[in-house]
Amino acid sequence: MRILGVESSCDETAAAVVEDGETVLSSVVASQMDTHGKYGGVVPELASREHLRAIVPVVREALERAGTRLDDLAAIAATVGPGLVGSLLVGLTYAKSLSFVRGVPLIAVNHIEGHIHAVVLEAKRAGTPIEFPALALVVSGGHTHLFEVRAGFAYRLLGKTRDDAAGEAFDKVAKLLGFAYPGGPVIDQLAPSGDPGAVRFTFARMKGNTLDFSFSGLKTAVLRWVEARSMEAEIARRRALLRECPHPTAAQWLAVTPAATLGLLASFQRAVIAELLTRAAAAAESIAARSMIVSGGVACNSGLRAAAQSAALPYPVYFPSPGLSTDNAAMIAAAAFPKLARGEFAPLEIAAAASLTLA
Amino acid sequence: MPTYRTASEAETISLGERLARTLPARGVVLLTGSLGAGKTMLAKGIVSGLGAAPADEVSSPTFTLIHEYGGGRVYHVDLYRLEEARELATLGLEELFDRDALVLIEWGERFPQLMPAERTEIRIRTVGDDEREVEVTP
Repeated sequence: MRILGVESSCDETAAAVVEDGETVLSSVVASQMDTHGKYGGVVPELASREHLRAIVPVVREALERAGTRLDDLAAIAATVGPGLVGSLLVGLTYAKSLSFVRGVPLIAVNHIEGHIHAVVLEAKRAGTPIEFPALALVVSGGHTHLFEVRAGFAYRLLGKTRDDAAGEAFDKVAKLLGFAYPGGPVIDQLAPSGDPGAVRFTFARMKGNTLDFSFSGLKTAVLRWVEARSMEAEIARRRALLRECPHPTAAQWLAVTPAATLGLLASFQRAVIAELLTRAAAAAESIAARSMIVSGGVACNSGLRAAAQSAALPYPVYFPSPGLSTDNAAMIAAAAFPKLARGEFAPLEIAAAASLTLA
Repeated sequence: MPTYRTASEAETISLGERLARTLPARGVVLLTGSLGAGKTMLAKGIVSGLGAAPADEVSSPTFTLIHEYGGGRVYHVDLYRLEEARELATLGLEELFDRDALVLIEWGERFPQLMPAERTEIRIRTVGDDEREVEVTP
C-alpha cells in the first residue's frame, strides 16, 4: 500500500511516496535555503510564494520517481500543523484537491509526529523496529520537545523548551558572530577545530519541571562574551566573506575565525549537546524507556550523534539518516500508515492549525 | 513614565504579571530591547498575568513567528527574522490588530510604519548581568 506524503509547514516543499510505512520509493525536497539564507531566516511571504511555485513539480517528480500513478495510492497525507498558516495551506490545499478529484482518502499529519516517524520508518526498514515505550527528543529550529511514545503511537509530553528552541540558539549565535544561516551546520563544522573547554557556560537550575529545556541564558552568555571583546573587525570579515560567497567552505570560515572564537563555538555546541542529552536521558529513565529516538534538524549535528553514541545508554539510540532528519515528506507518509490502518481519515474541511500540539 | 528594575529572570516574569493588569485587553504592545534583554521573559509574565497560559508554556516565537494563547486572547509575535516590510505581507498582522486581543510584538520597532500609532511600548535595558530596567510608555 502506497501513501503520497506532502509537507510544506516551513522551509521546504516536499513530497514522497512510501510503501507499507517502511519503503521510501521517492522523497523529493525543494529547499528554500537559498532564498532564506539571504535574509537570515524563514520569511513567511517568500515561503508561501516559493511553496506555490514548487508544489506541483515536486509532487509530480515524487510520483514519477516512485513509478506511481495517483490511482495506485491508498491515501494522500499532508502536514496540517504546526507551522506557518500561509505555508501549511499550500501543501494541505493541494493534497485536498488531489484527494477530492481522485477519490483517494486524505490523512492529516502532525509535523512533530512526522519527525518521530522518520526514525520509526528507518528502524522498521533495517529490521530493528523501535521498542516501546520509547523516549523521543524532537529538536529543530522551532521545537525542542521530549515525548513518551507508547505502542500504538500514543504520546505524552514530558518536557519542552521554556524559551528558545535548540536550533534557534544555533541560528542566533551564528548570526551574532557573522556566520551563515542556518547556524547549526556551520557551528557543527567548525566546533571540532576549537577547544570545547575554552569557555565555561553554567546553566541556571530550573524550578518546576526538571525535564524542561532552556537555551536563552546560553544565548545571552555568548552575547556577553562577544560584547566583552572587540570582535567587530572579525565579524565584519565573516559578513564580507558571506556576501562574496554564499556557501563558504570550512577552510574559508577557518581563515576568518581566530582560535578564541573557535573555542567559543566548540564550548557552545558542547553546552547545547549536554543540555539536550542530560534531560533526554533523565526523561528516558523516568519512563523506563526501551529505546531513544532523536529527530528533527538538529539531529543532523555530528557532535550530538557522537555524544549520544559514547554516552553508553542502556538502550539503543536511533537517529534518522540526514535526509530524513530535516523536513521531508517521507516522514509524513510514514506517520500516516498507522492512521490508514485505523481508518483515521480527515474531512476535506480540515483547516491548517498553526499551533497544533502533539500531546 | 513608570520605570521598574528587576534583578533576575524570575523578577522580570513577575513584573510582567503585574504589568499585565495595567494593559488594555485589546491593543498592541511593543516589547523592545537588544538580544537577550528579556523580551520573551516579560511576555511570559504578561501572558501568565492575563491568565491566558502559565509562564512555562510561553516559548520564543522567533522561528514560528506567531504564538497564540488563551484561545486567541493574547498573541506573541517575533519579527526578528524579517528584513523588509514587504516580507510581512502575508503574516496577517493587520488581522491580529483587528481582533479582540492583546498583541505582544518583539522587534516591531524595526517596522514602525506597520505598527499601529496607538500602542504601548515597553523598553527593556540590560543594566548588569542579571539586572534590567523596564520602562513603560502608555
